Amino acid sequence: MKGFSNKFKDLPDYIVKITKEIWEDRGLATLHHYYAQDIPMRFPSGLVRGNAGVIDGTLATLAEFPDRELLADDVIWSGNEDDGFLSSHRLLTTGTHTGHGAFGAPTGKRFTIHAIADCAARNDVIDDEWLIRDVGGIARQLGWRPSDYAQYQIAQEGGPDTCQRPFHPSHDVQGPYTGRGNDNAWGKTLATILQRIMDKDFTVIRSDYDRAVKTEHWGARGGWGWDFVETDWMRLRSSFPTADFKIDHQIGRADPGLPNRAAVRWSLTGKHAGAGFFGAPTGAEVHIMGITHAEWGERGLRREYTLIDEVAIWKQILLHTGQTQ
Amino acid sequence: MRGFDPRWQDVPHYIIGITRQIWEARHIGALRDLYADGLVVRSPASVVVDNSNIIAATMATLAEFPDRELLGEDVIWCDDPQGATKTSDAYVSSHRLVCTATHAHAGMYGAPTGKRVTYRILADCAIRDGAVYDEWLVRDQAAIVSQMGFDVVDWARDLIAREGGPDNCVPPMTPANDVVGPYDRQGNDNEWGTRYADTIRAIMAAEMDVIPRAYDRAANLHYPGGQNGLGWRDADKFWVGLRAAFPDAAFKVEHVIGRDDPMMPPRAAVRWSLHGKHAGWGRFGTPTGAEVYIMGISHAEFGPFAGNGAWGDPTIRREYTLIDDTAIWKQIHLQTGAHP
Repeated sequence: MKGFSNKFKDLPDYIVKITKEIWEDRGLATLHHYYAQDIPMRFPSGLVRGNAGVIDGTLATLAEFPDRELLADDVIWSGNEDDGFLSSHRLLTTGTHTGHGAFGAPTGKRFTIHAIADCAARNDVIDDEWLIRDVGGIARQLGWRPSDYAQYQIAQEGGPDTCQRPFHPSHDVQGPYTGRGNDNAWGKTLATILQRIMDKDFTVIRSDYDRAVKTEHWGARGGWGWDFVETDWMRLRSSFPTADFKIDHQIGRADPGLPNRAAVRWSLTGKHAGAGFFGAPTGAEVHIMGITHAEWGERGLRREYTLIDEVAIWKQILLHTGQTQ
Repeated sequence: MRGFDPRWQDVPHYIIGITRQIWEARHIGALRDLYADGLVVRSPASVVVDNSNIIAATMATLAEFPDRELLGEDVIWCDDPQGATKTSDAYVSSHRLVCTATHAHAGMYGAPTGKRVTYRILADCAIRDGAVYDEWLVRDQAAIVSQMGFDVVDWARDLIAREGGPDNCVPPMTPANDVVGPYDRQGNDNEWGTRYADTIRAIMAAEMDVIPRAYDRAANLHYPGGQNGLGWRDADKFWVGLRAAFPDAAFKVEHVIGRDDPMMPPRAAVRWSLHGKHAGWGRFGTPTGAEVYIMGISHAEFGPFAGNGAWGDPTIRREYTLIDDTAIWKQIHLQTGAHP
């Protein structure tokens, strides 16, 4: 790989190895090399600039969950050495809550969640990033309701006037990566499915998903078959029935040794105007960053992984309603 | 598919199609044609010969779980040229299903609990002339029983009593009561089947260091009792726990299918057995010395991401292994006398 250290055979190798080196093998200081100095990192919880913040954030997380593991489930990627790569990396994260931190006093509980990181890479450096961690999944496994944890987070961050603002496109900055993915047919297929769901054409699930589909959704929840996935998407869309849906990035791939697959990053921006996944409507203006990964088999879409950050959504709702105590 | 109704496009279509037709579309009477005369159905719980009782058994299950759905997750299959007849091609398939159902009425699991259950089945079927003519099936009974709220060990003990005590209860499958059926081949010799069978052989030889080499570090694992696992540690926990309970039991690979299809990751289905004494501490608690027969079926999907071997060595990315814990406990109870 031109411009990359010759210890990496290809982009997935690079992504998997640096993830292990930085976060599991305690190479926090290597972030000075692997992360651009002023990298914009967009989390649903807010925009973070620069590798120094990442290093401090990583240290805080390790202090809270010292045995945290980051297991690479898949790397769905696009691009090349010249224009830059974009890797959509799905991870399974496990850890034990043995230290003080963002989730309060240690509970000794274990969690397992998914996270998906979209990272732009060029010349051995990550210089642009969008990352969704299933914070709601961690909260639930440590004993919180996601809405209660959002309330706690607001208080910990100094109350509604000073707490960190969840990410909204109006805060966004233009980073070095300007790509939109690739033209592969599987990326288009997934984008079309998501568009139809968001257009409230829910027949798409029974027509395009395998009847035995395995779904892994936000909140560390999942199910087999059409019912779970159909209901979950309906509850999400019905909470924000008029919100604008946008496809922000789409990758499809057909690689040897793997099923055909796709990674799509999308967003919903608009009012919390309906009953559904987030309780009674509040009218709050909400931005949702979502990433969906899919794999296909001989009878349709066979595995679907979708992450949003419930806690960041609840935080926007609570800041709007003022129910922050 | 010579010898099969032309509406079936291929083996997975046939297997998933007849499963849905019989169970969900209620064509239960079609079993007279879809199951061959003299068919042997082996499950860890019993060896059933002939299809005469199968319609009754199917209706009994549907009476207990009327809304049962059978979702076909995968069909790993191969040609069986030696089994072909003058009138038909022959195939063997290993079908993985997820079943969901509500325990709505009284039946073999006892008084209705009203619980929703989700569990897996792995079923190996030899097929020709439009019908299943030999079968091996493992149902995750421990998942069903524990989701109903029962303790697996106690439930197996109660089952013996409900079936009329140790002398009258249905004997679990063992080599002593197994019936040799017409299908006596061992699958195909595809490299992915060989790779997976070799991995399980190494595990059974206590070479547990094979796990980080042969499994993806983030492997998704699905084990008996509806237990899901993740990565090397959980693979090690399941396989070590099983082998530790039967450290000297004879291990045999019974059947192997491997496939590399265009729309799917490379994958494999292995049926295996363990036969011997419950002589060690492990998955089944205090060693009892009971002689136990275990039929296991394992499915794997491979991916290109290396384990702790060289980058580029394919590894197991998803594994589905079933044994029937309740049938093992039944054998233990029957021999230790720990039953009512």
